Amino acid sequence: MAKTYDYLFKLLLIGDSGVGKTCILFRFSEDAFNTTFISTIGIDFKIRTIELDNKKIKLQIWDTAGQERFRTITTAYYRGAMGIMLVYDITQEKSFENIKNWIRNIEENAAADVEKMLLGNKCELNDKRQVSKERGEQLAIEYGIKFMETSAKASINVEEAFLTLASDIKAKTEKRMEANNPPKGGHQLKLTEIRTKDSWLSRCSLL
Amino acid sequence: MGSSNIELKAGWSSSKTNEPLRPEEQEAIISVIRRNEEIEIAERQRVGRLVERVEKIKLHAVERGPNCCRLCGDAFGLLRPQRILCEDCRKAVCTKCSVDINIRYHNSERTREIWLCRICSETREMWKKSGAWFFKGLPNYDMPVRSASASNTPTTTPTAGGGGGGAVAAYGKAGAGKGARAVQSCHGTPARGGRIKKLTIRVNDTSSSSASNSSASGQSEPEEDQLDGAKSNTAGVVGATSGSAPGNGTANDSSDRQRLQRDESFRLRAYGSIRSFIDGGERKLSNSFFFGRQANPNAGSRQADGQDYDNISNASTVAQLRREGSFMRRSSVSSSWSFSDSSGSGNSATQTTQNPQQQKQQQQQQQQHCRDPLLGWLELAISYRESFHSLDCTLVRARDLPAMDASGLADPYCKVNIVTPEGHTKYTRWQRTKTVHKTRNPDFNETLQFVGVEPEELGNSLLYVALFDDDKYGHDFLGAAKVCLSTVHSTSQYRISVPLGAEDQYSAEAEMSQSWPNGKMLISLCYNTKRRALVVNVKQCINLLPMDNNGSSDPFVKLQLKPDAHKNKKHKTSVKWRTLNPVFNEEFYFEASPHDLNKEMLILTVWDKDLGKSNDFLGSLQLGAQSKGDRLQQWLDCIRLPDHFHEKWHCLASDNPTH
Repeated sequence: MAKTYDYLFKLLLIGDSGVGKTCILFRFSEDAFNTTFISTIGIDFKIRTIELDNKKIKLQIWDTAGQERFRTITTAYYRGAMGIMLVYDITQEKSFENIKNWIRNIEENAAADVEKMLLGNKCELNDKRQVSKERGEQLAIEYGIKFMETSAKASINVEEAFLTLASDIKAKTEKRMEANNPPKGGHQLKLTEIRTKDSWLSRCSLL
Repeated sequence: MGSSNIELKAGWSSSKTNEPLRPEEQEAIISVIRRNEEIEIAERQRVGRLVERVEKIKLHAVERGPNCCRLCGDAFGLLRPQRILCEDCRKAVCTKCSVDINIRYHNSERTREIWLCRICSETREMWKKSGAWFFKGLPNYDMPVRSASASNTPTTTPTAGGGGGGAVAAYGKAGAGKGARAVQSCHGTPARGGRIKKLTIRVNDTSSSSASNSSASGQSEPEEDQLDGAKSNTAGVVGATSGSAPGNGTANDSSDRQRLQRDESFRLRAYGSIRSFIDGGERKLSNSFFFGRQANPNAGSRQADGQDYDNISNASTVAQLRREGSFMRRSSVSSSWSFSDSSGSGNSATQTTQNPQQQKQQQQQQQQHCRDPLLGWLELAISYRESFHSLDCTLVRARDLPAMDASGLADPYCKVNIVTPEGHTKYTRWQRTKTVHKTRNPDFNETLQFVGVEPEELGNSLLYVALFDDDKYGHDFLGAAKVCLSTVHSTSQYRISVPLGAEDQYSAEAEMSQSWPNGKMLISLCYNTKRRALVVNVKQCINLLPMDNNGSSDPFVKLQLKPDAHKNKKHKTSVKWRTLNPVFNEEFYFEASPHDLNKEMLILTVWDKDLGKSNDFLGSLQLGAQSKGDRLQQWLDCIRLPDHFHEKWHCLASDNPTH
């Protein structure tokens, strides 16, 4: 039996080919960096257990191939993800522009309330920068998600990014379960919520 | 994928070659899927353990009825465990078996405290930890040992179908997306029962429908067959189990619609699993206790719920009364009923009535939320000596009196008077027995003599006994009994047992007859959760002792929260000059956690301010977990219901606790 844990969060890394998804994951899981580029075949995942508020959270982080030809396989894993990292390369304008395509891809395939985060990778290459930090921030605001500039090579913000995403998911868990799912809060709403539940129950018993 | 146009424009799909997977690539992907399966198995077992944990707690639930805690079966009462309604299942539980959680509203910083019974809190925890909250249904799980076979049943069938028939061979995009979606979202079958079978039957429909779906999309990639075969291991399983909504399997070409339906089926299953949790409990409940049934039809309307529960608890009390009454002497009870009926004094009627209908009504009127309406029994012996015109009333014993302090004991004594046919008390001075300390089953064995009782009076008079709890800070009502004297004869002693009823005008009169030379104090307590402090509002005092020569006093109140390790929990009010009824309305904050408050004692002392000599002591009051009756109730209310002011009058005692 492996180590025990309290939560299992499934995270997903997506973004264009070569933006450094695998390197980010490698940095996070092994705290190492490899300069040789090996294109990911289809999908891969790594496991790391972190601790948040005294709870052990096992992160299963899926790394996807950015290449179009694996798209069929990779989109299959969107649905199960509780959190998705959208990665672009700050030295590649194209990868940044494609973020909106990735977002659309998420909207089509992932669960509706999946937690998202935008990462601008390779921020150590400031002299080759094509996408300013402000543009990244602006895009993140547009989609209402968090943003960070990371560097897998220089180990900047990688750890923070994953911890932020995990704690956001955990906060959502807490909120969802404790508030008994009233998205707008309040007592009145809750009454109806319970009532629908009751009707579901009674229908279930008929099955 | 309708967005392919846009993708092309954005150059996103420029490399759209649909180049088949090479064998080594397939190998790599399959190995990843295998690794993932290992994790999934561990995860299924973990979720299984979570489910088992909840099931175990449910197994140990007592479910004795709405008047008892559903988990431990303890009966509720004033100082017995407090009855709490679980937010989720709306069943009554005691404080021990429930947890309170603070809910923060999404739109404000305000928090609200709700109570959950252990079953529901564990269920919530299970939903949280298993990820069911996200997927809106419990994922697939393996029960640790015994029900492993149950969850295996649905998994085996579809795997064979998916691999063999090649139905899933066309690994279209839509199909892939669907399959994996299904993999992750899994299902929440309750581990046993007929529902499972139904799921298994539908399973095949769904998987074949997703197959036809994918072939319809037309993008077959034969190279991926092998991969898909491996995948269908997992995908098939889920597709299988996910189809619990009726009609899900019929050919649905629109993938959106199917997704929608599937979502719905998840929800259905999710609630189904909750239902199964509740179901088990309910069945048990309705078997053991017929009142449970009454609660069911009303479960939908929650506003009426509180009322319902009251009804039920009343009904159960009546039943209990009836049950216990059956071995008591029925004649005695009914005799007093007949008396009150004939006397026609409406106020004194129905206290000991046996008629459940009336009793129910009356109890409803009394709105006894915290006090257990069943207040115990009193046994007494009455004899009349005609030659002395004297009625001798022997209070033998009382049983099952309500507890008044935190240790579940009381210090009961009786006050006795005779109620005339006109409905007045015959004697202005109530006779009282000695106090029997630290018991809920006191043996008084004390005879009180009422002289000047004419023989003709006996026919329609009533002996009234009120029981109180003795405490230096005020006497709390325990119960009262009326006995009809018409059956008392001069020749023999009349022995009866009567159930004790609730407060009425006579008990109030008996209580008032107590003199409180030190006066009373109105105190309001509130636990402020934001400041994490106990707020004490000293409102006013009445009838204080005059200490100065001018027949008045100059009162002020000192407050102290003990134990006070840092000597900083002391406050005092301003001095109100020349008054015996001072109005303070002053608020004081004592920083303390609610947990600490359970161990602390608030000591209030009233003093007469004297200039030039030491202050005179006027009276004292202690509030805390060690106090009794109303004081304890106010203290507990303040902790249980924070951010509300709890106001009560208390009598002041003459001894100084700080000395």
